[in-house]
Amino acid sequence: MTLSIMVGVLVAGGVYLLLQRSMVRTVFGISLLSHAANLVLLSAGVSAWRGEPLLDRTSSQLMADPLPQAFVLTAIVITFAVTVIMLALAVIGHNDDTRRAPDTGETHDR
Amino acid sequence: MVAVLYLAATVTFWPVVTEVVRGGTPSWRMPWIPALDVDVALRADGVGLVFTLIALLIGALVLAYAAVYLPREGTRSFLILMAAFTLSMVALVLADDLLLLFVCWELTSLASFFLIARSGRAGEEASMRTLLLTFIGGLFLLAAIGLIVWRTGTTTVSEALAHPVWGTDPAYASLVAVLVALAGFSKAAQFPFHVWLPDAMAAPTPVSAYLHAAAVVKAGIFLMLRFSPAFAEVAVWNWLLILVGLVTGFIGARFALMQTDLKRVMAYSTVSQLGLITATIGIGTEIAIAAAVLHTIAHSLFKSGLFMMVGVVDHATQTRDTRRLPQLYRAMPLSFALTLVGCASMAGIPPLLGFISKEALLGALLEAPGGTWAGWLVLGGMTVVSILTFTYCGKILLGAFVDGRDPRPILPVEAGLLWTAAIPILAGLPLGLAVFVFDTPVARAVEAALGLPEAEPHFSLWHGLTPELVATVVIIVVGSVLVATRRRWLGRAERHFLFDGPTAIAWANLRLRRFGIVLARGALDDLPVRHLTPIAVTLVAVLASGLAVAVGALPPEQPGLVRPIDAVVLVLLTAAVLGVCVSRARLAAVVSLSAVGILATVQILALGAPDVALTQLLVESLTVIVIMLVLQRLPLAFSPPVRSRQFRAVVIALAAGITMGLATWVLTGRRSRSDVADYLIAQSYELTGGLNIVNLILVEFRALDTLGELTVLGMAGVAIIAVLSTVPDRLMDPEPDDDPNHATEGEPLLRASAAQSSAAQRAIREAWANLVPLRLVVRLLAPLLAVVSALIFMRGHNSPGGGFIAALVGSCIVALIYLSTSRDRQVGPPRLPLWLIGGGVLVAVGTGIWGLVARGSFLEPLHTKVAGVALSSAMVFDAGVYLAVLGLILVAFNLLGTGAGTARDPRGERTRERTDEIVEGELPGPLDTVRGERPPKVGARTSVVTSDDAPGGSGGIRP
Repeated sequence: MTLSIMVGVLVAGGVYLLLQRSMVRTVFGISLLSHAANLVLLSAGVSAWRGEPLLDRTSSQLMADPLPQAFVLTAIVITFAVTVIMLALAVIGHNDDTRRAPDTGETHDR
Repeated sequence: MVAVLYLAATVTFWPVVTEVVRGGTPSWRMPWIPALDVDVALRADGVGLVFTLIALLIGALVLAYAAVYLPREGTRSFLILMAAFTLSMVALVLADDLLLLFVCWELTSLASFFLIARSGRAGEEASMRTLLLTFIGGLFLLAAIGLIVWRTGTTTVSEALAHPVWGTDPAYASLVAVLVALAGFSKAAQFPFHVWLPDAMAAPTPVSAYLHAAAVVKAGIFLMLRFSPAFAEVAVWNWLLILVGLVTGFIGARFALMQTDLKRVMAYSTVSQLGLITATIGIGTEIAIAAAVLHTIAHSLFKSGLFMMVGVVDHATQTRDTRRLPQLYRAMPLSFALTLVGCASMAGIPPLLGFISKEALLGALLEAPGGTWAGWLVLGGMTVVSILTFTYCGKILLGAFVDGRDPRPILPVEAGLLWTAAIPILAGLPLGLAVFVFDTPVARAVEAALGLPEAEPHFSLWHGLTPELVATVVIIVVGSVLVATRRRWLGRAERHFLFDGPTAIAWANLRLRRFGIVLARGALDDLPVRHLTPIAVTLVAVLASGLAVAVGALPPEQPGLVRPIDAVVLVLLTAAVLGVCVSRARLAAVVSLSAVGILATVQILALGAPDVALTQLLVESLTVIVIMLVLQRLPLAFSPPVRSRQFRAVVIALAAGITMGLATWVLTGRRSRSDVADYLIAQSYELTGGLNIVNLILVEFRALDTLGELTVLGMAGVAIIAVLSTVPDRLMDPEPDDDPNHATEGEPLLRASAAQSSAAQRAIREAWANLVPLRLVVRLLAPLLAVVSALIFMRGHNSPGGGFIAALVGSCIVALIYLSTSRDRQVGPPRLPLWLIGGGVLVAVGTGIWGLVARGSFLEPLHTKVAGVALSSAMVFDAGVYLAVLGLILVAFNLLGTGAGTARDPRGERTRERTDEIVEGELPGPLDTVRGERPPKVGARTSVVTSDDAPGGSGGIRP
């Protein structure tokens, strides 16, 4: 239940930021959305089992589902890559306001 | 040289030829897509044989000609394209599989496109038009093939064409017939697709000769012949081909008279001749197909020869325009004689091969379906076209050799050109006299084209007094009169029409573009809001409707889903998210964002995922550092919001949040632990010998996913480099004067002049002094972190840790070093990041191949024990992960780290320079190249923008 509410809060914040004009805020929005996605994945592992998936420390009866954890680990690192790319795009031209496309020196065919 | 290869290919092909002539159909097949029953199947029959020989023999001649005609340098691409062209043509005509047929069909389109396009600027638009028109035809063919496979259930050409459905379902047969006919028209340059062929004249003469005589256009004829067995009885097919053929024949001949460029005359004459062949194929009887095949052979002979003669004239006088040619027949009697023979063949004058084939065409037309009157009508139309043909043949001959008055010099022509041109032209003479040699091969072709058991066409020079002979006499008499009186009307005929094909296409193109702009108006905006709003709304709608269905019968929730700590996190998280959303100052937003990250880490830890939590924490800190690097270049605050839009955004955001939250509540936590989890928990140790299941999943069970992931990381680094290296230096790092967002530094807070430099002053004003504590910390911390990183890496298999986490700890060293230097400079050698990324991916893939070789399964790890320590190739894989992550981090820090301070520092390297250095190595300044231009050797001829010249910002360019 609380996890669902957390997801809701994060998605609401993420979507709100995505709908803003500044590229940096868009990046922040994606960051929030990915937190939400990670929590959804983890809650798919059913949060009633919360033991660490380390075979020598936790009894196998209490152990959490390790598969969603592996997915989330991958997702976190990929989110990092995406964030870095988007930040690099945001920084071109010293202004991240998207009222107009950044001038890359290429002609814009319209 | 290459011509010899073609001849050798012909010799190799010869056994097949003899077998087909004897009546066999040798075939060969190899499975291609077994699941769809698609094979690479070749099958030689009469039709394929004729076209193969045309492609190979004419190809040999054209290449021998081209060896003399083209300049010695830079012909390699021509040769490769010609070879590809011939190969696809031969494969097309021999294909016995519909998909193979289609692929080869498109390949010939592509090859002709490239051959025309490589002729430089003149060929650019022409080649695009060619590509467009032939690809439209390709789409028709694809549709037809789809329909055929759907109804006949086979992709084998010979089986599909023999299927009974063609006789039983006339509507279906008509539809497919029209599609195939349109495809054939597009290639064979039939009206209204004829535009591309004269366009293709931009290509050098050998290409035109091959294109017109042996390859692309003949592919269209071939297609119609190939599908004749199915459609010969379909009335739509017959009349479509006859009408379009005659119309094209007439238009082509009329336009040929209009041209003054000899090559264009030839091009339109090809259009016209192909129209006649098409019309004859449309008749669909035995005699008609035989005539069409014979005329195809005759046409490829005289047309290739005549094209080469135009090339000879071009070489001798440097022009092909009849208005600028000198009188040539005295100076070049041999050329004159050859052109005379070629034109006579085209005009249908006995005893040449062209005469016999044209006679055969005329005779065949009388058999047009629909009664005698139809036959006479078609014959009449063909006679008119042939009169025009006769006339433009006279125009070619006389225009090129007799009528010219221009005093330009006549250069000597290489004998090689003349002789290669002479072979196909002169071949028409003995072949005309001994035309019976064609009886058997043409018979085989007719059998193949009509699906007949046996055909016995008979050609001879003298058939007796027949209607076609009368027609020929009429043609020659009227044509001669027209040629003799040419001075009276030719000037008027050469005036251009109001519009021509290219303008029509350009017009259509313009309209299409305008239409496209209208369609795309909704997506043309650069504002992300416009694009993201529909996505968000769709997400809400889909989820909400899904929920409405699902809510009915929900299984009960598992007990113990919620713990007290969750509530604490929830409250703090909500506050932090609000903080990110409402703060106008960028710094405040970043702080809130990192709070969200930390809280997410806590929640993840509370869910029992130590590996994930560690990763999240490290990624969060690195992300914040990268964001800070970026923020120093951006304005301090976000731009103020537009109130009306804000309201909409809030509504959409709340709707999305509520539906997502509900969906998570409905769809999770309502089952017991998954079977996969039980399996992994029970089996991991036996299978791998490791204890940390998450890490085992990453490097062993699902290592392929991880390989993909680390490739994504590496590509992110490469993508940043690629994007930043396209942006000119002055746009990426504008000088303060040009930069609307540049903020001048504020006055120091301490009230003291710069001269009185106290320690406190220095701490604020000077970076060096400011950073002393941090540097001391780095001295201590860096080795410690290195040891920690190594430890985490080693223990990953059994305890929380592993390649990712270790690499992120290692990255923290990079970050600390970067932050602790007083002057902005790169960490590590400039090319290191790319080496790390490439090395990481290579190491990981190498481990995979190692597993493949040693265990027979890609990425399967190998385990051994050395001196009591368990070692696994999975660790090598993890090392690959480590390298790729580190590479990305280096790219991020080095490229995003430059700021206003860097620009002012004379020794500072700016973003563009650093980007270029990652690719090129150490450079004296940013490169001034744009995308697609690679400097041949950096330092030698590269213009470099240096920071010390041109204070205006654009930067001077030094040779």
